[in-house]
Amino acid sequence: MELFSYSLRKLATGIPLIIGVTLVSFLLMVYFGPDKTFELVGKNPTQEQIDEIRAQLGYDQPMVVRYLDYLREIVTLDFGNSESTGERINALLARTIPVSIAVALPGFILGNLLGVGLGLLAAFYRGRWPDKMIMGSAAIGMSISFLIVIIAFQIILSSSYGLNLFPVRGWSVDSFGDYVSYVTVPTLATVFVALGYNTRFYRSVIVEETTRDHVRTARAFGVPSLQLYCKLILKNCLIPIITRIMFSIPFVVISGSLLIESYFGIPGIGKVTYDAIITGDQPILKAVVALTAIMLVVVQLLTDIMYRWVDPRVSLK
Amino acid sequence: MAEPLLRVRDLAIEFDTQYGTVRAVDGVSFDIYPEETVGLVGESGCGKTVTGLSLLGLIPKPPGRIAAGSIEFGGRDLATASEEELRTIRGSEISMIFQEPMTALNPVFTIGNQMADVLARHKGLTDSQARTEAIEMLGRVGIPSPARRVDEYPHQLSGGQRQRVMIAMALSCNPKLLIADEPTTALDVTTQAQVLEQINKLQEEFRMAVILITHDLGVVAETCQRALVMYCGKVAEQAPIEELFAQPRHPYTAGLLSSIPRIREDRPEHLPIIAGRVPDLLHLPAGCRFAARCERALDRCQTEQPELGEKTASAACFNPVPV
Amino acid sequence: MNAAAEELDPVGLSDAAPESLWTKGLYKFRRDRVGMWSFAVVLLYVGIALGVWLGFWATGWADLAGGKWEPVSGAHWFGTNIIGQDIFDRAIYSTKTSFEVGLVVAVLATALGAILGAIAGFFSGSWLDELILWLMGVLDSIPFLLFVAAIAYTLQSIPEISKYSMHIAMIVTFWITAGRLVRGEVIKLKEMEYVDAAHALGVPEYTIIFRHILPNTAHILLVQATITFVAAIKSEVILSFLGLGVKDSMSWGLMISESSQEVLAGFFNNFLAASVLLFGLVMAFNLFSDALQDALDPRTVAD
Repeated sequence: MELFSYSLRKLATGIPLIIGVTLVSFLLMVYFGPDKTFELVGKNPTQEQIDEIRAQLGYDQPMVVRYLDYLREIVTLDFGNSESTGERINALLARTIPVSIAVALPGFILGNLLGVGLGLLAAFYRGRWPDKMIMGSAAIGMSISFLIVIIAFQIILSSSYGLNLFPVRGWSVDSFGDYVSYVTVPTLATVFVALGYNTRFYRSVIVEETTRDHVRTARAFGVPSLQLYCKLILKNCLIPIITRIMFSIPFVVISGSLLIESYFGIPGIGKVTYDAIITGDQPILKAVVALTAIMLVVVQLLTDIMYRWVDPRVSLK
Repeated sequence: MAEPLLRVRDLAIEFDTQYGTVRAVDGVSFDIYPEETVGLVGESGCGKTVTGLSLLGLIPKPPGRIAAGSIEFGGRDLATASEEELRTIRGSEISMIFQEPMTALNPVFTIGNQMADVLARHKGLTDSQARTEAIEMLGRVGIPSPARRVDEYPHQLSGGQRQRVMIAMALSCNPKLLIADEPTTALDVTTQAQVLEQINKLQEEFRMAVILITHDLGVVAETCQRALVMYCGKVAEQAPIEELFAQPRHPYTAGLLSSIPRIREDRPEHLPIIAGRVPDLLHLPAGCRFAARCERALDRCQTEQPELGEKTASAACFNPVPV
Repeated sequence: MNAAAEELDPVGLSDAAPESLWTKGLYKFRRDRVGMWSFAVVLLYVGIALGVWLGFWATGWADLAGGKWEPVSGAHWFGTNIIGQDIFDRAIYSTKTSFEVGLVVAVLATALGAILGAIAGFFSGSWLDELILWLMGVLDSIPFLLFVAAIAYTLQSIPEISKYSMHIAMIVTFWITAGRLVRGEVIKLKEMEYVDAAHALGVPEYTIIFRHILPNTAHILLVQATITFVAAIKSEVILSFLGLGVKDSMSWGLMISESSQEVLAGFFNNFLAASVLLFGLVMAFNLFSDALQDALDPRTVAD
């Protein structure tokens, strides 16, 4: 019950964020955005045809009404149809979000797990050569553009100039074997790019924690290093770790990895978003923006609840 | 007299800093006998805490290291012992408690969990045995309703109670030596007295030796049989308590004692202070480190370093305060 | 002294070194070999970019100077691309583009962050602070690429500005980190005695904020500006690749975009030239930024 009322209050405080995000996007993309009348009318249109299209697009309505219309779409979770294909947006989302999750999840999990592991290792050997090696590699990894990594991995792993092990691009998955063959290169690229940033972040969190008094106490009572780092220190670092992981989820699920999906031609939400950006398919963009904001608010709530679960000092107020 | 429990000889501890290498502790020697309480006294930065940490191999390295000397304990030299060897000693044969009861316990584990961990490791107890033992220890250090407290987290306890938990944890494996680093400094005065009394009482029960590291001469006077006064990384004077307070030989000790505020009949206009400041460890003088601030300094004090004698009461001084 | 402070400064040496943060920072930076080398590489790139800007070299980046996919030769150091343009010239010219984007975005985003962060911090708890925090939260929550696209849509009808929509979008999103850092620092600084003193003397609030408090966050701003610079040039490459970035000019992102078809046909010069130059600049700038941060961090006395 306490949790329930807390959740309600927390979600309510998320409303200004949702309003802000949707309002800013609405103004930029739709209200001040391109006038689409002449894309939709035929050649040499009559004034009636023009007026009809404008009414259909809602251009004859005042801004407030059109924005309220958008809010109504959000509340009812019904975003209408795509302008370019006419597909129902809800159906489109249901079709593409699972693909995006399937593409992004392995890399997301591996990137964070390896990041924490390497961060622990570097923190343990702080100032000595394993630390220098790991952090040097992280600095190099952080300096290579995502784009270059994707193309280089594609050449090395998927082209006849390299090992030629995986399909160059696309996504036709019918079995687990297909899944592995299509997901490997995007996953490796994502991990390669994320690992530098993750390792650096996690190392600094862990190093900060090793300077705390309770770590000295643990050492003074003979706690072995493995237990000290992997249990005592790590549990104290969970708050920043959870925060980082949780807050990247909405962007992974909703925007997908736009670059990965459009480069590899994977029909996920990222590619749909990219195509919508290029064609100016406003209903899709409006849906993606709104869903991201809603997910962020939900993630904030979940993160707060998780804080209490990992740190007894946190109480839900 | 019995064999000493701990024999420290010519201990030197260095730290690398961006300004160069400094010797935070330089040529410190002392003995600790079973079941005695010895005060290690000095201002902050004099090397007393670093000395205490080095006895358990807890000097952070890098940047620190034991550069020279030996720490004999139970037939081993702790200065050169491996991390594995030290780990079996920490918390079982030698325990240490710290100044900050607020932060010294791990905030995300229950106190029972933290105590049971020590017991399981050093005594090989099962979880339920360790828990029972932990509850008993909490009772012995004066925590009310220990069976309930054992499942609480550190932030649910007061500062004094947390320090009691630390003491319970430190004594749970019957150590032969307890190193208490400013155990009461962060507590309010009434709690301070209670905790000190508790340490004294438990020392008799557990028949262990205690090294009490403090800057507070009052605390030393109340609890210790002997004291070592440290100044700038060296031992300036060592003596039994009565002698030290009645007839300090080293001018620094004398200065420290006279600067304690107390109610006196003569009411001096100013509280006496020691003039000047502690030399920084990068630019140490060639002679006695206290010479620049010393009223009794001779020419010799500027060029030669005085040595501490072997006797139980001795001062590292060429011109000690006359008896 | 707690364990953390003790470890950084085991014997209280920080008291013994009363120089200013900047003098100490310069001293530390000059002893940092990696930092000095990376700074030298950054300066080399600055020289290249300046040369392009002054018209010393790479003037023929758009000329059809040779045939399709010519190999490396004395005339074309990195060969030519699919329509016969000189890859070396294009790669060198792109250095200027990168610096333009990086500098404009880093300077303006940091300045915007400094101003809004300082105002929010100084009036922390007031409606103004709430408003700025809300704005930060909102801008942080819009997926970056969508935001760039949205800005581009809005500016479409104004062609003089629309080619800068990428710059504007980056400035509007990248100021937030600087803003949050400055806000936190100002909240600390405004409790200092000299601020109370200025208040007591009747110094106007905006003078206190911008003349007395903000200069004390300069070390944070400098480091943040270098981080923003790197973020901007990396984003430029991806945005240009996706067709949302640089227009009517040349950039490493556009070169990589061109090359993404070429590499599948086995022609790597375009890709390698852009990638290597981009990597060199980003790596050097990252290391430079790290060294700067180490040198200017008041907490690290010895590490």
